Amino acid sequence: MKWLDALIQGVLLGGMYAQYALGMALMFGVMRIVNIAHGDLVVLLALIGITLSVAVGLGPLPLVLVLVPLAALIGWGLQKFVLNKVVGADSLPSLIATFGLSIALQNLMLEIWSADTRSMSGGGIEAASVNVGGIYIGLLPVLILIAATLLTGGLDLTMRRTRFGRALRAAAADTEAAAMTGVNPRVVYAYATAIAVGILGLSGVFFALRATVSPADGPAQLIYAFEAVIIGGMGSIWGGFVGSMVLGIAQAIGFRIDPGFGTLAGHLVFLTVLATRPQGLMSKG
Amino acid sequence: MTPTPHLLATRSLSARYGDFQALFSVDFRIAAGEVVALIGANGAGKSTFLRALMGLLPVGRDMVLFEDQPVGGNPPHHMVQLGVAMVPEGRRLFAGMSVEDNLKVAIDHARKTGDKTWTLERIYRLFPILQEKRNAQVEKLSGGQQQMVAIGRALLAQPRLLLCDEISLGLAPKVIREIYEVLPEIARTGTSIVLVEQDVMLAQRASNRLYCMLEGHITLESTSSEVTRADIAQAYFGAGHEVA
Repeated sequence: MKWLDALIQGVLLGGMYAQYALGMALMFGVMRIVNIAHGDLVVLLALIGITLSVAVGLGPLPLVLVLVPLAALIGWGLQKFVLNKVVGADSLPSLIATFGLSIALQNLMLEIWSADTRSMSGGGIEAASVNVGGIYIGLLPVLILIAATLLTGGLDLTMRRTRFGRALRAAAADTEAAAMTGVNPRVVYAYATAIAVGILGLSGVFFALRATVSPADGPAQLIYAFEAVIIGGMGSIWGGFVGSMVLGIAQAIGFRIDPGFGTLAGHLVFLTVLATRPQGLMSKG
Repeated sequence: MTPTPHLLATRSLSARYGDFQALFSVDFRIAAGEVVALIGANGAGKSTFLRALMGLLPVGRDMVLFEDQPVGGNPPHHMVQLGVAMVPEGRRLFAGMSVEDNLKVAIDHARKTGDKTWTLERIYRLFPILQEKRNAQVEKLSGGQQQMVAIGRALLAQPRLLLCDEISLGLAPKVIREIYEVLPEIARTGTSIVLVEQDVMLAQRASNRLYCMLEGHITLESTSSEVTRADIAQAYFGAGHEVA
């Protein structure tokens, strides 16, 4: 029972990571853009959400409706005004640009919100749970897992079946060939980053409901998203989801073995995958 | 009303890669429905010329005229909307995507004006093997099959001018014949073709007119059926070259 509980909690934790990994699977896995500010954007959106909930009294659902478009707009602007200037075969320029953005965002957030940790009240949903045969399952983590699954499925279908998805895959495979086939790669990339960051609007609300948030929390969220995408396999949207589950389960089981071992267990699994199957679990290669 | 004599023309087209000037004052023209070959040694500037026409290289606005309108320096996706499409050197297919998805990218972004001359079905009739392999990833195809995908992708953009860069390169003679057999059918639809080709004999046979390039300059312009071997040798290797 103890291990079944660990497995279930691990899957629920994986659902949380899967939301961060989804945007990362799109940007890093497909477009090969390294967005170091990914985690900081989640924190920024979470803090904006907390402030709005306190100042205006918005509940979680209206907040999502405000934050997702705002996040998409931030993503679109980030791609159009920063990343489109540095995209190319080399991913180093995007890494450096977003590393700078990450530091700037962290300092900006410190300036506005100070280093205090904050959290959002969701009217009881954050603490609600159901008892299933002796295992307590939190309502919020289940909601997060459902949202992550639906988003992953939706994005995967979008990538495989739609005009936009084909254009994005084509541009990622060969930007110049895509352009001579009539695609405007800059516009397609701007929409893709709008989607990747837009998802973080939802993640920001879930993050603020589930945990405490402070301006320096971004990099910790970033590393899990990176690891999930690499475990799952570059270029695969479901890969990011599977990688998140692997990380979540490894951490939950690690915590049961020893409370200090959980986070490390996740990293160890990541290193094991990197050493034995560097192309990732879901990759065809 | 004055008729439009040329679908596309260049006026003193010059282009450079950084400090290296690759094209010097190139004057070129192609009429609707015409097949024009562009021959020349490696590094003569043939591919650079096609890239300049496609909008992949920065050039002056007035250097490229499409139906007498200056279009030089337009981004490639604008050139596609005007009716220019390219089969690039080395095929440049979208790796990781199926044959059909590669073709669908072109359908999705095809020229919006004019008739839809080319359909997926028509491409499959032209190259039946592609229908059989439509769900295969393009990197699993043979070189000749990949070239067929590249040609199909360009045609599905509904071009009025098709730029073909070294479509015979690295292919078996039988496959080259198969691919060259479809060019007359393409030309019959009224599409003009610029054919960059290493094989001079092949280029001469398949074209109405030909240009020869040497070190970024046009050194010969002639009707393909009238040009002599000696003319070509001189233009290809430069003045002073003795024809054996």
